[in-house]
Amino acid sequence: MKNRSQHRHRTKSFLLHSSLFLLALILLLPVILTFLYSLFSPLEIKEHLLLRGSLDKEKWMPLLFSPQVVSIGQYYRVLLEDNGILQRFVCSCFYAVTILLGQSVFIPALAYALSAFRFKGRSTIFFMLILLMLLPFQVTMVPNILMLRTMKLLDTVWAVILPMWFSPFYVFLIRQYMVGIPHELYEAAQLDGAGTICCYTHIALPACRPVIGASVALSFADIWNMVEQPMTFLTTRDDLQPLSTVFNKLIAMPTGIEFAGAVLYMLPALFVYLFFLEDIVTGIQLTELK
Amino acid sequence: MFQHKKSLLLFLIPGLLGVLLFYVVPFLGGAYYSFTDGRAQAGFVGFTNYAAVWENPMFQLGLKNSLILSLLCAPTVWLLSFVIAELLRKLSSGAKTLRSMILLPYIMPSSAIILIWLLLFDYGGPINRLVSVLGLERIDFLSGQALRLPVVLLFIWKNLGFAVIIFLSAMQAIPQAYYEFATLEGAGFFRQLISITLPSVLPTCFLVIILEWISAFKIFKEIYFIGGAYPDFEVYTLQNYMNNMYGNLNYQNVTTAAYTFALILFVLFGMLFCVQKIATGAVEGE
Repeated sequence: MKNRSQHRHRTKSFLLHSSLFLLALILLLPVILTFLYSLFSPLEIKEHLLLRGSLDKEKWMPLLFSPQVVSIGQYYRVLLEDNGILQRFVCSCFYAVTILLGQSVFIPALAYALSAFRFKGRSTIFFMLILLMLLPFQVTMVPNILMLRTMKLLDTVWAVILPMWFSPFYVFLIRQYMVGIPHELYEAAQLDGAGTICCYTHIALPACRPVIGASVALSFADIWNMVEQPMTFLTTRDDLQPLSTVFNKLIAMPTGIEFAGAVLYMLPALFVYLFFLEDIVTGIQLTELK
Repeated sequence: MFQHKKSLLLFLIPGLLGVLLFYVVPFLGGAYYSFTDGRAQAGFVGFTNYAAVWENPMFQLGLKNSLILSLLCAPTVWLLSFVIAELLRKLSSGAKTLRSMILLPYIMPSSAIILIWLLLFDYGGPINRLVSVLGLERIDFLSGQALRLPVVLLFIWKNLGFAVIIFLSAMQAIPQAYYEFATLEGAGFFRQLISITLPSVLPTCFLVIILEWISAFKIFKEIYFIGGAYPDFEVYTLQNYMNNMYGNLNYQNVTTAAYTFALILFVLFGMLFCVQKIATGAVEGE
């Protein structure tokens, strides 16, 4: 009797594992295929991509599983010959670094002001941030453009960078975490003679490590995938566009090196993900989101 | 709590100034455009712009599509992530690895994934091979009504993992003893799901649906990647309308549409918020 129930339990657990594994595999399939296709020779991929868009009922696109020859030709051309993709990749890196640096100066400080201090208008400011989080980019697009134009920032990199330094969502996220820091910690530090700045650098920031890690990862993902801002703030500056805005144009006129470009673009995201994985999970777990 | 005025200003002012300058002022400044006409000496026209925009068929189309797409995306992500999190919770081993695999798409740039996506959904591509193996007529996924499918699926692919993590962290806080007791009493999987898991994570349910609905309303990238800047009517959203009106330099129409959009969002989420307060209050009151 006991044996049978154990057996049933094992079968159930096996089914559970394999169905979840299958699901995870399906979710990862696009990433895996992109890696695989980056190892095809440029010529083979170009031929394949040119077959797209045919509405001929008799024809199928061949299923590509293994390359005729494993080739690093795509990477060679992306990195050494054709510098269109590489130049945009550098652009993306520049945006990511400058935006994250600015955010790390302004966002935790604002979150600290909104969580550790008591002052008039605190809840009004917080409510305002929540409302701003709801708005899609296009809602404030036109006044934003006009303002950036008067500040002579339009069509410069700062038009993309400056507004991102103050993203309401990350202020909200970090503030919700900081609220959970017991105030006794600050009081104890004050008794030892620490000021508010010392409390910020020695208590609030270290305590917020997980949520700051999570915010860096999420913000990086956001910047790495941005489309609206460069499209509307840098209309005349094709040379300043990050790589994220051009993939769908690249595939319309294939040269066969797109997939290596895509892998090049996914790799930094993968590193950031692996580096901050634990922070993302604990950050979400411990943040008072409700 | 601290009450030092000077150091408060040090922390508050730089960030707040930025938020005001790049978010609040543009939002309020939009009002000027939505209530004036487009001439050099702008005259006050009251609600004329609103009447004109609301009657504009493209605006109505955009509004309809924004609603349809968000209603396709948000509840699907919500339901799927709830079920997946419940299954992950029951795992005895390997849950961490699976969780990391499921969360990965959230960080991956969908701009790079679009290459493979367009191949998968091509008329002669693998998905259509599956469709025809099932004995159905092939579908042209990249135009017309069917265009919604790759758009919605790309959204789900990217956002599912994050919702799973939020649900999972709430579910792991439920004492395991509840489930053990329920199993002893003979309660099955669904009974446990409805009587233990669901009430315990009700606030999280609201959180996830609100978060997903917000991002589904903002859906633009997916449409731009798959359908281009001027997509077919079936996926033409309010964002596309505002972008195109901006392209035509019609600032009045853009800001009027923007205000309408913002108003709808505020009312919708205000209502959701109230429902949440009442529902969680009721559970706690029991």
